[in-house]
Amino acid sequence: MTAYGLSVVQILAVAVGGLLLTGLMAKVRARAEGRVGAPVTQPLREVVKWLGRESPRATGGALMGVVPVVLLVTTALAAAIAPLAGVGTAGAGGADALVVVFLLLTGSLALALGGLATATAFGGMGASRAMTLSALTEPALLVAVAAFAVPGRSMNLATLVRYSLAHPAGVASPSHVLATVALLMVVVAETGRMPVDNPSTHLELTMIHEAMVLEYGGRDYALVSLGGSMRLGLLLGLLATLAVPWGVAPSDSVPALGLGLVLLAVKAGALALGVALVEVRTAKLRLFRVPELLAAGFVLAALAVVVGVVVR
Amino acid sequence: MPALVLLAPTLAAVVVALVPPGRVARAVSVAAALVVLGGGVVLGARCAGGRVEHALGGLVRVDALSALMIIVIGAVATLATAAMGRTLASGTDRISRRRAREYGALVQVFLAAMLGAVVAANLGVVWVMVEATTIATTFLVGHRRTRAALEASWKYVVLCSVGIALAFLGLVLFYFASAHTGAGPHAASLDWTSLRRLAPHLDPNVTRVAVGLVVIGFGTKVGLAPMQSWLPDAHSRAPGPVSALMSCVLLTVALYAILRVKVIADLALGAGFVRTLLLALGLLSLAVAAALVVAERDLKRLLAYSSIEHMGLLALAVAAGTPLAVAAALLHVVGHGLTKSVLFLGAGEVHHAESTTTIAEIRALLRRQPGLGAVMAAGLVALAGFPPFSLFASELAMFRAEVAAGLGWAVGAALVALVVVAGALARTARGILLGPATPVARPVPVRALAPLVAALVACAVLGIVAWPLASLLHGAAGVLG
Amino acid sequence: MNGLDDGLLDLASVAVLALGVAALWRRDVRALIGLLRAQGVALALVASVEALSAHDVGLGATAVLVLALKAGAVPWVLGRVAARDPGAREGAPLINVPSSLVLAAALVGLAVVTGAPLARLSSGHAAALAPLGLATALVGYLVLVTRRRPLSQIVGLIIIDNGVALVTFLLTSGVPLIIELGGSLDVLLVVVVSATLVGAMRARIGADELDELEELRD
Repeated sequence: MTAYGLSVVQILAVAVGGLLLTGLMAKVRARAEGRVGAPVTQPLREVVKWLGRESPRATGGALMGVVPVVLLVTTALAAAIAPLAGVGTAGAGGADALVVVFLLLTGSLALALGGLATATAFGGMGASRAMTLSALTEPALLVAVAAFAVPGRSMNLATLVRYSLAHPAGVASPSHVLATVALLMVVVAETGRMPVDNPSTHLELTMIHEAMVLEYGGRDYALVSLGGSMRLGLLLGLLATLAVPWGVAPSDSVPALGLGLVLLAVKAGALALGVALVEVRTAKLRLFRVPELLAAGFVLAALAVVVGVVVR
Repeated sequence: MPALVLLAPTLAAVVVALVPPGRVARAVSVAAALVVLGGGVVLGARCAGGRVEHALGGLVRVDALSALMIIVIGAVATLATAAMGRTLASGTDRISRRRAREYGALVQVFLAAMLGAVVAANLGVVWVMVEATTIATTFLVGHRRTRAALEASWKYVVLCSVGIALAFLGLVLFYFASAHTGAGPHAASLDWTSLRRLAPHLDPNVTRVAVGLVVIGFGTKVGLAPMQSWLPDAHSRAPGPVSALMSCVLLTVALYAILRVKVIADLALGAGFVRTLLLALGLLSLAVAAALVVAERDLKRLLAYSSIEHMGLLALAVAAGTPLAVAAALLHVVGHGLTKSVLFLGAGEVHHAESTTTIAEIRALLRRQPGLGAVMAAGLVALAGFPPFSLFASELAMFRAEVAAGLGWAVGAALVALVVVAGALARTARGILLGPATPVARPVPVRALAPLVAALVACAVLGIVAWPLASLLHGAAGVLG
Repeated sequence: MNGLDDGLLDLASVAVLALGVAALWRRDVRALIGLLRAQGVALALVASVEALSAHDVGLGATAVLVLALKAGAVPWVLGRVAARDPGAREGAPLINVPSSLVLAAALVGLAVVTGAPLARLSSGHAAALAPLGLATALVGYLVLVTRRRPLSQIVGLIIIDNGVALVTFLLTSGVPLIIELGGSLDVLLVVVVSATLVGAMRARIGADELDELEELRD
């Protein structure tokens, strides 16, 4: 399969997979709470349904039209270059961790601007909270990925994954374990899951992500929520790839890539299951305690880097 | 003989802990201190010429420097235990009798730990003993159980424990360096003599970190700035005899540990590193002491700041490092020990008689309590560095040696601090000694003043003729050379 | 030393440091004591791995001592003090938790830079880990200076001590046993002394936030 083909497959996988993961997590939560819950495909169906509808826009709505596109494009780009199913993606040479983080950050920034665009109270509040947390999560994300990069001495994700495929024992090293935990904390915060944010509430005191997207409707809303799900899929996929790289196809043969895709789905599904189960058991942190959690993630990531440098 | 010196306070601690407080306990305490003093003199006579005595299977090693420290400890301990009598006898209810027993026993444990530190052959054992002094004195500082006393002892135990932990880390690094000298890992040792032999082969990078940690760690216990903040609190809240022991010997015992380490560091790194470190700490201590002493309103805190100042002076002399400078510094240790213990014990008597140590509330001591007033006056004069007392001679000698070592600028800075502190002492002396007489509350008995007078006389004699100590001082400086 | 020993040593040393950092994060005094206990176990593991690989009986004895003292006696003493004041929490540390965590990350970096000469001097695997011990000591210092409760300050003190002990085991396979014994005894005594002081302060002053102890000021 060509590099471009692989990238397209990854984008599609992240888009569909992200929606399915969102549905899966909702389902797991429902079951754990004793409800039947909506089917796993519910988010997918909702997005398809809203895509066919017209978008009502408030004053200042021009920006609201741009935001979903920016969010989608940046996330799709990141999904295209990151080594998820195989390392031979288009632009793998440029798949530096910095680039991926930059793309994700651009998406977050667009969302925050969109939240501010309508000048409603909720949008602004959500944007301000999201940016506050973002200031802590982005560095932590970067440092955590850097910790994975220490053994292979390269921030390029493809090189990094190749290196850890060649050195499977490294997965049990203290640095790797610490970095995994740190990245998990960051992913939970970035995707707006408990205990940082509650995706299923619209309570003004607590919501962060939902407050920013409250004003969207119709096709715009479909794109925004697709973008959000893709971020979830991408981050869980990245976490799975970095923490347990086994299965990522080093070659571009179709069976290997197919296996890589299936394993990616299994790993991301397992992670989603875990995150959902933790969500059921934890209470949401008060907003001003969230920085403590994120700082803990940051320091863990920093520790992972240091330990990686020291322990050889 | 070294074993006897260690045994005396240990046994005394057991006895004082068991017998009821009173005449027997008092006599045993003083006797133990006298044994230490006597043992120190005998050891000093034997070791002055460079002889080294070993005991307890090589754990104990006494050279001229150790002997000198034993003499200082013994002298101050004799003064302190003699003055302690009244504390030991005070109170008749069960709780205060139990506390008096604890107090007496802990003072002896404190003495034993300090003696252990100065006679130990192994730097690791020195460390253990210095840490043991922290534990013993924590309770002594908090003995009065008042809010301020407890706070002071908390500050003391926390700060000194941190310092001592750093020192331990430094010693571990020394041990590590000694295992990698090319002589094989079996040569690894913290024994001072072996370390000195290995010193030229120690890895300089590791040794530098090690020396830094040890100097800062033990420096905390010496009371060098910027780690000095426990010192005024602890000294001012502890009972008088304990303040005397802490200020006059505990600080110098910690300095003794730095001296021992400096010998090795100089051999491994050249003289520059430790000199710079000690110069910085010493000058900072002088500056801090001079700045804070000016506004001080409490007599015992004033004396504590003066201790910081003297430790700074000692640090400068040690930094200069020539045999003359070190000999002068050791004489200064003796003189400071005698003078400062007289003043702290005098302040204890003042506290006992007037129930306060606030300078503004003490008046006309010379008329109301002529004996105590005269002792305090003489003590303050001696502390300010006037002849005939030995602090004058030792300060002069230290300064001359420092100038000769090319540290004239440091001497200039030290003189400024010295003048400021002397001014504060003069103002205090005027405040507490002179003024219109008011009725006497409780006159201090002559029996309590006699040891203090004896100490001042000794100090003056040493200032005029250094012969009783001269050979010992030079022997000790030779050990460090 | 074989690969398994190295791996265990890595894991245990990192655990000592990570548990120290966790002490900056937790506020519940009893959780802090639990962290100390876990740190003691990790430290004893380091000592015993070293003892087994070097066939050193003295070091083995030290490992047992460390386990008894740092995972047993010290947390027990602190736990008894804490039990008198259930639910005690570190209210407002001098530096808030996120900043102190970020600061801790910086300190860890500093320790690695400072410790570089140590790792260079010895070719052994264990010596390369020594900077982790330095980092633990620095983190303990941060706990000590930023916390206001006496008990949390003691926890900081013991973390410093554990860091120093980690350096000792990693660099020198322990100093001579007599010094180790003396040092350990001193740690226990310091803990007992401070615990007694905390009790006395609580009885006498009724406050145990050190903020309220401000009678002595220069």
